[in-house]
Amino acid sequence: MIEIDALTKVYGAAQVRAVDEVSLHVGTGTVFGFLGPNGAGKTTTIKMLAGLLTPTSGQVRLGGFDVARQRSAAMAQFGAVLEGSRNVYWSLSAWQNLMYFGRLKGLRKARVAERAQDLLTDLGLWERRHDKVGGFSRGMQQKVAIAAALIADPPIVLLDEPTLGLDVEATRTVKNWIAEQARELGTTILLTTHQLDVAQELCDRVAVMRQGRLVADLPTRELLARFRERDRYEIRLEGAAPPGFDAVTREGVTTINVRVSDPREVYDVVERLRAQGAVLESLTQVQPDLEDVFLALVSEPSHA
Amino acid sequence: MHEVLRAEIGKGLRVQLAHPVGHVITLLISTMMYLGLQFVLGQGELRQDLLPQTLVAIGGYWFLQYAGLVMVADLIEEKRAGTFAQSQMSPAPPWLPMLGRLLTASIFGLAVAAVAALVPMLVAQIAIPLRWAALLPAVLLGVNALAFTFLLASLALVSPMIGALQSLFTSLVLLLNGSFLPLELYPDWLATAARVLPTTLGIEALTQTLFEGRTLTQLWTGGVLPWLLAHTLALTAVAGLLFARNHRRALESS
Repeated sequence: MIEIDALTKVYGAAQVRAVDEVSLHVGTGTVFGFLGPNGAGKTTTIKMLAGLLTPTSGQVRLGGFDVARQRSAAMAQFGAVLEGSRNVYWSLSAWQNLMYFGRLKGLRKARVAERAQDLLTDLGLWERRHDKVGGFSRGMQQKVAIAAALIADPPIVLLDEPTLGLDVEATRTVKNWIAEQARELGTTILLTTHQLDVAQELCDRVAVMRQGRLVADLPTRELLARFRERDRYEIRLEGAAPPGFDAVTREGVTTINVRVSDPREVYDVVERLRAQGAVLESLTQVQPDLEDVFLALVSEPSHA
Repeated sequence: MHEVLRAEIGKGLRVQLAHPVGHVITLLISTMMYLGLQFVLGQGELRQDLLPQTLVAIGGYWFLQYAGLVMVADLIEEKRAGTFAQSQMSPAPPWLPMLGRLLTASIFGLAVAAVAALVPMLVAQIAIPLRWAALLPAVLLGVNALAFTFLLASLALVSPMIGALQSLFTSLVLLLNGSFLPLELYPDWLATAARVLPTTLGIEALTQTLFEGRTLTQLWTGGVLPWLLAHTLALTAVAGLLFARNHRRALESS
């Protein structure tokens, strides 16, 4: 479990509040999406969570241990892959990296070897375990970094942009693996990403930061539901657009977006289309995705 | 704790040995530099009366120079690559991986110093008497050099100018610690100034036991040993304070 209470970081003489009274509680086995535009305060929050940065005020507890006062116990609960850095030694092999990071976490050599074998096999790297990580593809390097973060089987894992720069196949592997870690092993995963489709697919809960403050912290479904636009419908027709409608036709399919004040008005629109001989292919209420929600949240004052 | 230390040393050795060319070049330079230097200073000949004492000093210099180089280069690279931050997100206290790095650096420093001393000994037939009394001064010389390496490493955590500072100090050490001429041939004021630098007092203590047959008691009453201890403690204290201050700043900027 991750508990963040009234976490604040103020920088310099100008008293810039990079993080302002942020509170979050992330339950065990949750994949938690921590989102925000650049400069929102995500990285600062993550660094305080990882014990790399001292908060001006507030508290972070990992698995019940205060990061500031019980650092050693808190770090034993935690593994991280940080964005923008290699995280592992490129001049060492995947095996050597895992052995080092496992022992650094205080595990005995035999235990680390056992765990490293499982992780490398799961990630499809076992055959290349003795190759230097520097010679790996970006996706393979990222897999080694993730394995290093998980080598001591920590109950809490921070993954900062884990799929950034990965190809489709590697992204799929990493996503499946994150889901499996949380659902089957009960690992709490804090995921930060700008790839909102990844966040939407993986996260049980999402928080959005803007200008150092949380502007949303809700289960993903609930967050999406709050932004559902009850008055917008998408009508798809076979063939060309009928006259009198604002429509887009592409590859033989016409799409019409209609906005109504009462859902019953949709019947009238459909009736008008039928009268003009249009062939209805589908009629759906427009559902926002996480990108729509995110853009709405970061461009307006707090919503949740 | 031992597991962490062993892991850190093992990792450090593997990382360093993954790129052996730099080490081989340093070994070649270290073996050639001393004899070349003494040949020039002796105006075309190797002066046997000066060789033993200066050889001990050049060994001290190489230990300091190479341990410092390995330590600082390793830290800068780890900070850049993000592995420094990773190593700090562990249950181990922050100083423990640092100690492991220091011990790794000392292995490389010792290897270069040993080769830098042994090759001239064989080539120029330099005899160095071995005495048990020299063991403690030798160990203290090493600890003194490592305390300075720790200080450099603590500065390297935050200072972009560390390369220039390191070059400046190691050059001064080479010039003044007795690698060119024994310390007793310096003017008093220069010998006093040289003793402020790392390794000089350790070399003085070591040469007094090896070549003058002094006992540890004589070293203590003569003042060399207390000064060496005080110098080492002062270096360690300053380095420790700098580490405590800069470690946090290094993580914040990582």
